[in-house]
Amino acid sequence: MPGRLSRRSLLAGSLALPLAGALAGCSSAGRRTSSGASGPARITFWSALRGSQQVVDAFNRTQNRIRVDFQQLPSGGQGGYAKLSNAARAGNAPDVATIEYPQVPGFAIDAVARDITALVSDRLRERLLPSAWGLTTFDGRVFTVPLDVEPMVMHYRTDLFAQYGLEVPRTWDEFAVLARAVRRQASPRRLAAFPTDGGQQFSAYAWQAGARWFDIGGGAWNVSLTDEPTRRVAEYWQRLIDEDLLFANAVDSKQFDAQVGQGLVLARLSGAWEAGAQMKVHPGQAGQWAIAPLPQWDTAHPVVGTHGGSTFAVTKDSVKPEAAMEFIEWQVAHPDALRARLSSGTSSQYPAAPALVAVGGAAFDRSYYAGQDIYRLFDQEAGKIRNGWIWGPRMTATLKVMQDGFARASGGEGSLLDAVRTAQSATMPDLKALGLATIEHSG
Amino acid sequence: MTTTASPESAFRATTVAPATGSRATTRRRERAACGVLMAPFFVLLVAVFLIPVATAVWLSFFGEDRPGLGFGPESTIFVGLRSYAVVFTDPTFLAALGTIAGYCLLYIPLMVVGALALALMLDSGAARLRSWAQLALFLPHAVPGIIAAIIWLYLYTPGLSPVVALLAKADLTVDFLGVHAVVPAIVNIALWSNLGYNMVIFYAALQAVPREVVEASVVDGAGPVRTALRVKTPLIHSSIVMVVMFSLIWALQLFTEPMLLSQSSPMISARFSPSMYIYDAAFTRNNYGLAAAASVILLLCTIGLSYGVTRWSNRAGARAEAKA
Repeated sequence: MPGRLSRRSLLAGSLALPLAGALAGCSSAGRRTSSGASGPARITFWSALRGSQQVVDAFNRTQNRIRVDFQQLPSGGQGGYAKLSNAARAGNAPDVATIEYPQVPGFAIDAVARDITALVSDRLRERLLPSAWGLTTFDGRVFTVPLDVEPMVMHYRTDLFAQYGLEVPRTWDEFAVLARAVRRQASPRRLAAFPTDGGQQFSAYAWQAGARWFDIGGGAWNVSLTDEPTRRVAEYWQRLIDEDLLFANAVDSKQFDAQVGQGLVLARLSGAWEAGAQMKVHPGQAGQWAIAPLPQWDTAHPVVGTHGGSTFAVTKDSVKPEAAMEFIEWQVAHPDALRARLSSGTSSQYPAAPALVAVGGAAFDRSYYAGQDIYRLFDQEAGKIRNGWIWGPRMTATLKVMQDGFARASGGEGSLLDAVRTAQSATMPDLKALGLATIEHSG
Repeated sequence: MTTTASPESAFRATTVAPATGSRATTRRRERAACGVLMAPFFVLLVAVFLIPVATAVWLSFFGEDRPGLGFGPESTIFVGLRSYAVVFTDPTFLAALGTIAGYCLLYIPLMVVGALALALMLDSGAARLRSWAQLALFLPHAVPGIIAAIIWLYLYTPGLSPVVALLAKADLTVDFLGVHAVVPAIVNIALWSNLGYNMVIFYAALQAVPREVVEASVVDGAGPVRTALRVKTPLIHSSIVMVVMFSLIWALQLFTEPMLLSQSSPMISARFSPSMYIYDAAFTRNNYGLAAAASVILLLCTIGLSYGVTRWSNRAGARAEAKA
């Protein structure tokens, strides 16, 4: 996702929902009636992404064969996904919908996102990063088209690092040593926060370490949330929390905004898009931040996971899948689309189309990061995305259960590993209830 | 108030009265009246209870089947007890049942004892303050559950709450939304909302206790406490059973308060209570079959427990009569 939605825009989105619902009624009716040969093809598009309206307007301006009717949704977790599922159930899903990576398998299995393998042209296939396609292709079938892909990076306070004479950590061991140094020298400051609401951040750590939570080899869903790499990662973070070296709280919260705003947090680990969000939420800290690669387990073979990023699906209800696909291709691969999206405000999304990186880099105001060319860094990090990661069929629920466990662990009840175990045992029934072939691996 | 006749004698009077006149026409007329008067009830029962229950049962036995990896075409098939088997093997559902059991064990005794104690106190003395106390206690019940939850959310949230701030000044750090305090915190909201309402039920029942019985106990030398506990309380036994049953049914459907509190406390998971589990199954996990199966299980639990309470109270009542 290019820029996590701010709470305010979420609020605006949810307030707009009833109105938008009414509009959807009109637009879907319009879609049905205008199916005659005359006039442009009308398609509908639902998205929670900021700047989508500007992208749609730009698309409608530049050509007159396809008209896109856009509807802003609240973010997936705030009801956007439930709305999409229910619309699909009722048979009136939009032609094009935005789905984040973790939810792609779920919507593919529910047959909301249609199999678009035949609609993806070779040209489009070549334009986007293979590592991004890998996250939307299952069993040889493509279900959605990636918009952006967000490698995990480390955002850190250059001024505070200089003040305490700290070095940017290159490995996780150095990160732990640094966390101890920060606690010793700069208490009540801490190096970072372990996000108790960050199932996706934790996934990215496990992904980097080589975990394969879900694997679809052999015609069944192999579930192993507690494989060796995940256990190693969970124990690593548990130790840092136990030694009181980190804050352990929600990061999508006022509390964390305050921790960052007051300079209590020296570093934050998240996707590339976070740079834009950071600029928006903390304009006063301009010049104090820089971005570095994520610490590694093995510096000889640097790899990362991703955190965030969105894709576009053509839904099963679309009567004009070719037009829908043309619009999607324009959105993800045309420079004007990215410029229009960025015109709505600051964003540091890393496009899945490498040709657009220069456009994003040029549009990005470097002054906040003291002139650092963050897009060059993102480019370098995107090349390290570890192949073979697959999200699960009910990822929202899996991550939610995991986060509930993280929150309890931060309150001293259970451990991070317990949270991951619970997430697995709560995921298995969901998959069985869908009739999927499953194999559970317990680590 | 001229009559203080017990409900039983009033009932006898009405059933005895129409025994005169032609038997057949009376019976026909009675039956017609019966039908007309009860029709609205049955229409509503069918429309808002039986049809939804039947739909839920039907949904719980069917599902969209996605064989293998699930990316192929899906088909709605009869899945038998699969959804039920899944619900019973889901640790989060069992945890939700455990939570609700703990909640009931804490809430129902506190509610019944509290409401009964208040009603007995109002019935025995403090005559001047009676109406005011009743109003004050009943008022929270007029506040919709969701508003009550918001009020209490404000009072519970550290940094916002004047109560937490006040306790902090006295060197007491209380996290009402912490791991162990969450269930008591929700019980507190429920008590605040419902205590007055149930107290009114008990108070109304106490009005029907024959004064001569109370006077007799006083003459026999019973003090006010003894009168309240040994004379009045057994006489409103049926009201107590009713309140226990309604509280139980209400408590099993716990949803609004934890749903709202979960916004600000990570200790309340998305599947905290069975109702929240059902909501989560339907709208987060997009599995209506699973949600339907969990709903049916919750309904059966509710029916079973209500039946249990009735049986227990009947047997207790019979034993009491046998003793007397």
